[in-house]
Amino acid sequence: MKKHPEYSREHLLYLRKLKRNGALVHAARIAVLFAFLLLWELSARFEWINPFITSSPSRVWDTLVSLYRNGTLFYHVGTTLWETLLGFFIAVVLGYAIALLLWWSEILRKISEPYLVVLNALPKIALGPLIIIWCGTGSEPIVFMTILIGLIVAILNMLNGFMATDENKILLLRSMGANKRQLLTKLVIPSSLPAFISMLKINVGMAWIGSVMGEYMVSKAGIGYLIVYGGQVFKLDLVMTAVFILCVLAAGMYAIVALVEKAVIKNSGR
Amino acid sequence: MKEVLRFDNVSMHYHTRQGETVALENLDFSVSEGEFAAIIGPSGCGKTTLLSLAAGLLKPTSGEVKNAGVSFGYMLQKDELFPWRTIEKNIFLPLEIQKADTPEHRARALALAEKYGLGDFLKNYPSQLSGGMRQRAALIRTLAVDPDVLLLDEPFSALDYQTRLSVCDDVYKIIRGEHKTAVLITHDISEAISVADKIVVLSRRPAHVTAEHALSFPEAEPLKRRENKDFSVWFELLWRELNA
Repeated sequence: MKKHPEYSREHLLYLRKLKRNGALVHAARIAVLFAFLLLWELSARFEWINPFITSSPSRVWDTLVSLYRNGTLFYHVGTTLWETLLGFFIAVVLGYAIALLLWWSEILRKISEPYLVVLNALPKIALGPLIIIWCGTGSEPIVFMTILIGLIVAILNMLNGFMATDENKILLLRSMGANKRQLLTKLVIPSSLPAFISMLKINVGMAWIGSVMGEYMVSKAGIGYLIVYGGQVFKLDLVMTAVFILCVLAAGMYAIVALVEKAVIKNSGR
Repeated sequence: MKEVLRFDNVSMHYHTRQGETVALENLDFSVSEGEFAAIIGPSGCGKTTLLSLAAGLLKPTSGEVKNAGVSFGYMLQKDELFPWRTIEKNIFLPLEIQKADTPEHRARALALAEKYGLGDFLKNYPSQLSGGMRQRAALIRTLAVDPDVLLLDEPFSALDYQTRLSVCDDVYKIIRGEHKTAVLITHDISEAISVADKIVVLSRRPAHVTAEHALSFPEAEPLKRRENKDFSVWFELLWRELNA
């Protein structure tokens, strides 16, 4: 914040206080992370907890470095990232399209309602064996699982967004003589942009659940594979490392969506 | 004068699962070209239904709405400007809808905006304008396609009292300046007296016409009319008719 000649002393104090509070929150966040890592490391070093089953930050770091050295780190990350992104995009695009269709046709909406409710409540993992038999054991069942988990959520969220369109604005457009297609392109789609962004945010989480769950089910590579494999051979350092990688990837993807949100809001006057 | 809108014995029934509601019953009135008509009635008496019928958005259950092939512009309680569009783009909206988005029409709409003081705000978003300015932008949007008749559905009721008086004055001058026919629906008696040439009084639901008055004030502007001594005479008369 630059010094502004017109600001009063009180306002400058107020700005300084805001800035100080912001810095305090940031510092506290970092401090919490470091305190946690330090406590974890020390408890493992002094064997207050059993490092064989809890691992430790230094062991995680060593595992990460060795994965990188033997060249498998980016292979596993790439596999999961690809499956997640592909499933995410297909679920979002397909979900959006189906939600549009349901907005368009009231009768389709009414017919599909109980199916959507049941499919939404159904734990998709229950379909695991079927998916393996249908899709084989490559990346396909994992992407399929990711789509399945994201799709219904995408449909329901988008449909809610479309249906929440202001009735008065619909009346206004109708009084201008708008047809249904014009209602859609001029009003429903632009006004549901915030719903679209929140759907993206939710679906980022859903996509990671889907791909990791898919890899638990059947996989030869990926972060989920590392977790399952690490658990089976009791290499919990590997499990912890994989979880750490997942945290970083999910945070990264969320950050990208947040950037998209910022750009969209900036360009829409909201 | 030529009649541009006529309600001929119009009734309107609504059907819901709970039953049937009679909103309007045997409604008769007409509006002539260039007239500023105000329709007043107790709240919930089907005033908005009446405007939708006039604009042809609804079909009457019985009777006939004759609108002689005129075009309508609708103005609602709130400005309903689209927040993601600039003022300019909001004003062009009806042009886009009616596939009349040509340079000439755009120029005409922009000239209107310029003439009525929106020139500096064209590139702004609605959220950056005051309530009064937004309602003015909504009126310019309505006028952009050059409609013959303006249908005003309580267009000032969402504004605070001060703004309301000045926006009412504003809108009146713009409508008169553009020589438009207007039908104002309101439950505010003083608003109706301050702008109308003719006042149609509706009864409680099912609504029918209980009285019709032609008004003539020497002063044209709403704010001046409010100072006229006849104003309170009219107010009392209409108040009694509304509550009869």
